[in-house]
Amino acid sequence: MKKMDSNIKRLLIILVAFIIIACVTKPTAFIKIGNFQTMAKQLSEYGLMSIGVGICMISGGIDLSTVYIANLCGILAGITMQDGGNVPLAILVGLVVGIICGSFNGFLVSYLRIPAMLATLGTYQLFMGIAILASKGSTVSGIPEAYTSFATTALLGYIPLSFVVFLLLILAVTFIMSRTKFGTRVYLVGTNERAARFAGIHCNAVLVRTYMLSGLLSAVAGLLSLARINSAKADFGSSYTMQSILIAVLGGVNPNGGFGTIPGIAIAVVILQMMSSYLNMFPGISNYYRDLIWGIALIGVLIINFALDKRRTQRLSKIS
Amino acid sequence: MENENILCVKGIKKSFGGVHALRGVDLTIRRGETHCLAGENGCGKSTIIKVISGFYKPDAGTIEVDGKGYPVMTPAEAIKAGVQVIYQDFSIFPNLTVIENLAFNQVLANKKKLVNKKEFRRIAEEAIKKIKFDVDLDALVETLPVADKQLIAISRALLDNAKLIIMDEPTTALTKREVDRLFEIVTDLKENGVTILFVSHKLEEVFEISDSITILRNGQNVISCPMEEMTEEKFAHYMTGRHFDTQVVKEVNEEKYGDVVLEARNLTAPGFEDVSFELHQGEILGVTGQLGSGRTELSLSLFGLLQPTGGQILVEGKEVHIKNVSVAQKLGIALVPEDRLTEGLFLPQSIIRNITVSRMDKLGNKMGILSSKKVVEESAKWVKDIGVATKNHEFPVQTLSGGNQQKVVLGRWLANHPKVLILNGPTVGVDIGAKYDIHKLLRELAAEGMAIIVVSDDASEVIATCDRALVMQAGRVTGRLSAKELDTATLAQATV
Amino acid sequence: MNKFFKKAVKQTEFYVFLIIIVLSLVIQARSGLFFANNNIVDLLRSMIVPSIYAICALLAFVSTGPDVSFPMIAALSSYLALTVTNRLGLGGAPWIITFIIGILFGCLMGALNGVIIVRYKFPSLIVTLGTSSIFSGILLGAFEAERMDLPQNLAAFGKASLLTVKNAKTGLGSTLPMTFLIMIVLYIIAYLVLNKTIMGRGVYAVGGDEVSAERAGFNVKGIRFGIFVVNGGVAAVAGLCYAVMSMRYLPTEYAGGEMIVIAAIILGGTRMTGGIGTLKGCLLGTLLLTMVSNSLILLGISVYWQRVFIGAIIIIGTAISAIQSHAGVKVKTRLKKEAA
Repeated sequence: MKKMDSNIKRLLIILVAFIIIACVTKPTAFIKIGNFQTMAKQLSEYGLMSIGVGICMISGGIDLSTVYIANLCGILAGITMQDGGNVPLAILVGLVVGIICGSFNGFLVSYLRIPAMLATLGTYQLFMGIAILASKGSTVSGIPEAYTSFATTALLGYIPLSFVVFLLLILAVTFIMSRTKFGTRVYLVGTNERAARFAGIHCNAVLVRTYMLSGLLSAVAGLLSLARINSAKADFGSSYTMQSILIAVLGGVNPNGGFGTIPGIAIAVVILQMMSSYLNMFPGISNYYRDLIWGIALIGVLIINFALDKRRTQRLSKIS
Repeated sequence: MENENILCVKGIKKSFGGVHALRGVDLTIRRGETHCLAGENGCGKSTIIKVISGFYKPDAGTIEVDGKGYPVMTPAEAIKAGVQVIYQDFSIFPNLTVIENLAFNQVLANKKKLVNKKEFRRIAEEAIKKIKFDVDLDALVETLPVADKQLIAISRALLDNAKLIIMDEPTTALTKREVDRLFEIVTDLKENGVTILFVSHKLEEVFEISDSITILRNGQNVISCPMEEMTEEKFAHYMTGRHFDTQVVKEVNEEKYGDVVLEARNLTAPGFEDVSFELHQGEILGVTGQLGSGRTELSLSLFGLLQPTGGQILVEGKEVHIKNVSVAQKLGIALVPEDRLTEGLFLPQSIIRNITVSRMDKLGNKMGILSSKKVVEESAKWVKDIGVATKNHEFPVQTLSGGNQQKVVLGRWLANHPKVLILNGPTVGVDIGAKYDIHKLLRELAAEGMAIIVVSDDASEVIATCDRALVMQAGRVTGRLSAKELDTATLAQATV
Repeated sequence: MNKFFKKAVKQTEFYVFLIIIVLSLVIQARSGLFFANNNIVDLLRSMIVPSIYAICALLAFVSTGPDVSFPMIAALSSYLALTVTNRLGLGGAPWIITFIIGILFGCLMGALNGVIIVRYKFPSLIVTLGTSSIFSGILLGAFEAERMDLPQNLAAFGKASLLTVKNAKTGLGSTLPMTFLIMIVLYIIAYLVLNKTIMGRGVYAVGGDEVSAERAGFNVKGIRFGIFVVNGGVAAVAGLCYAVMSMRYLPTEYAGGEMIVIAAIILGGTRMTGGIGTLKGCLLGTLLLTMVSNSLILLGISVYWQRVFIGAIIIIGTAISAIQSHAGVKVKTRLKKEAA
């Protein structure tokens, strides 16, 4: 695409405006390397899950199980590497489990035709249940330092490795969604599954791969969080489920499927992380204000998109 | 005092955001007649219905029902005045029982607050008695066949002492037998003094059922006259405003046919059985039959969307198993589906994506990475070749007219250079001009050696385009017509 | 087959009922404790709050689409009701006053959902997700709500019990709180409104076909808006019941309750696409899931398995109904052919 997506343009404007406000009002605290480093580490995890939810929404569904896939992968990887276990093997275990969980979601949604919201609602209980069983209901710890050092290392001394992973995955998924056959098919299946079948697309295969990708991204998120907090737990980060849907919609994903871009989601992640970090700098303001702002932002963005879309469609039908 | 005209509207104008939908429409309907309102898509038929039934407020003009003028018509007033509309979707609640579907309108009109089961049943029984309609009142409407749903709508309309019933394209989803039943009911209603405004664009029906006709074009009425003064040629002319031969030049020359490309032997699948035929290069085979005759299922089974349970399909003499669409694609079979909006197109997506969707394997490398340059070029080529009228092919397909949308679907499949092109209802919802273009294109493609199957219930379409035709009834082939036998009379006889 | 039976086997509720019977017999056979009086009372007690929530979920699904905001509405309106009661010194007033205050606040929050969903026709899932976040922000951010004790009137109401039983064999006792009556009353009202009033039938009509409902003369926007307002009120009642039953207000315990409730009503036969769903189904679905989470211990299965079982039940249950509706389409095409 030659012209920049208008939604991305809007998000970038919001981002820049916010940075300016933050720099002006809290210059010392906000413009600190440490602050950016903390933000980068935090956003990587739920950022990846938001991308996963986003692609599932583009395909016309939703994935409510991302957080629990992440936790399950973190727990199983943690158990494998615990007490001097094999770290590379543990990472592999985490990723494979993510792929399996995602594929299972995809199988339910495509071959069994269970509405995505219900299927992933069921698997979210299931994955959480398995995680509880695997961890015997407690926290998995005793993670070798060889692994946790990943979270403390920074590229070139400044950029946290987890953020580098996030960026690389964003680039990869953006490429997949915008430049490959698979990506294009995800958009088309999300727009009209019936027409996609008539056009020769294997909808079931496309959906399984979409959810598999979401599972894989969640697995990476789980592995990053395992390194960052040095432990894993079955019910960690429950609020991220709703947050990741929220971020996907804020990033311009159409809840009905068929539209949305990965860079849009990524920028939305950054904006929200900055906002919450900024709010944290005011000791008088509770952390929970974040929820309020996010909620208002979500509905505000919906209403703005609604108004702009209406104008655009009117204009286009007049031209042609 | 009874007025001679049940409805008299004059000079109705209505525009939506600067677009003039109606530019001064007059419509006069005499008491007790069956009046036809005809016109192409977008001529303003549905807008005028909504004005008469009170859902739209006209910008100018007067409405008189039964001699009484209505400066501002509201839906409630329209019903009180005896005007009832039977919409294409029948306005029913699939999730509720027949009783509730029948009783709601009246109960709501009487501003009742509580459910009285006995009263509901009484209303429902009264309603179905009027047209001697036999149905299980406690059944959920979603479990009933289409024709019954329509009868529910009709009997419900009669409950309110309808004087004028407007039927919007009532035969669209009905089988031939159901249409006959509907026409009997219409005749019955007429005898009981109910006036019918029959909205349709199907030539045969209009001539069969109407006493007089009004044709709209571009939001204006072009003619109103008794049916006797109307002919088929005049009808086409008034509908489009153009003079052209409705017949595409068709040269049937069996010697020009190439080899057999596609053959079905005793093919059986859910919906049809024991169908056999041969299709040659350069030949157009018509498959015709009423709704429910199995014609659509036949086309789906040849394209891998419906699995045959028996018989064989042969492509170029070799038996094949078409287990999904991509197998069909590899064999060189293409299908332009019946319902453009839900099966053919990705409406909010760009024209580019809609055209290139089935060509993606050819437009990318082995890794599945697409070349955006190739994609754009490919789509531009087909937009030009097939004559899609658009300024920018990044626009969503939904901004195109029906005819242009159909061309996009056609272009998508022609891009695959198919050996066999199957079209199911190729010109449904397409105006006469674009219809002519599409028919001409099909003849040209056949002349170049493509084998084509046209599945259609439109007799004039089959006659205009096909070299020969299969007639299907209740899932079986009941007639095979050669080029010489293909004319309106034989077709009508064969499909009854 | 007689007509009644024929009708019953077509309903999802019937199968849920069968599963419940089988499950209870299995648990009884394995442990001998399922039909013990204290276990039954425990079950009923655990069902109270989820089954009130289930009314919210049902109304939303039947008429419009998923509503996920009811737990946060419950939390925020309960907080406001308790605070107002304390501030105005209404601790001595009858408990119903506090409930009415809560319901008013709940309705107000529901109205916000309603306005946005009706005005812009946005997907209700996303809107209620957003408002949930807003309510949570107001509750925990702006009000900085913390756990607090109940005012006198609610504390007394919480201590009163409807029924106290003691199992002679095990010596375990259980009490059924007064809130059980609230649940019963709500279900009776909901039943009467949904089945005996034109407005209630309108809820189903709107969910079945919006355009038809408009043409028939239903006030579609009004009904949808009304549903969300009512949902807010019902959620507030559930929130206060929860506080009364825990004997204190715990602001952080509310979030996350929505998913299991939605799962329960879908298992109970509510259709995701709208128009279909019964209160009977709500109760059965809730009962089934409550049984699974309450009775594992009786079966000697570790509580760690609870989630796995619930997940499996949701997946299997929805898979069966998805496959059924799929098979239904095939049967229909065959019938059409026979008719032709």
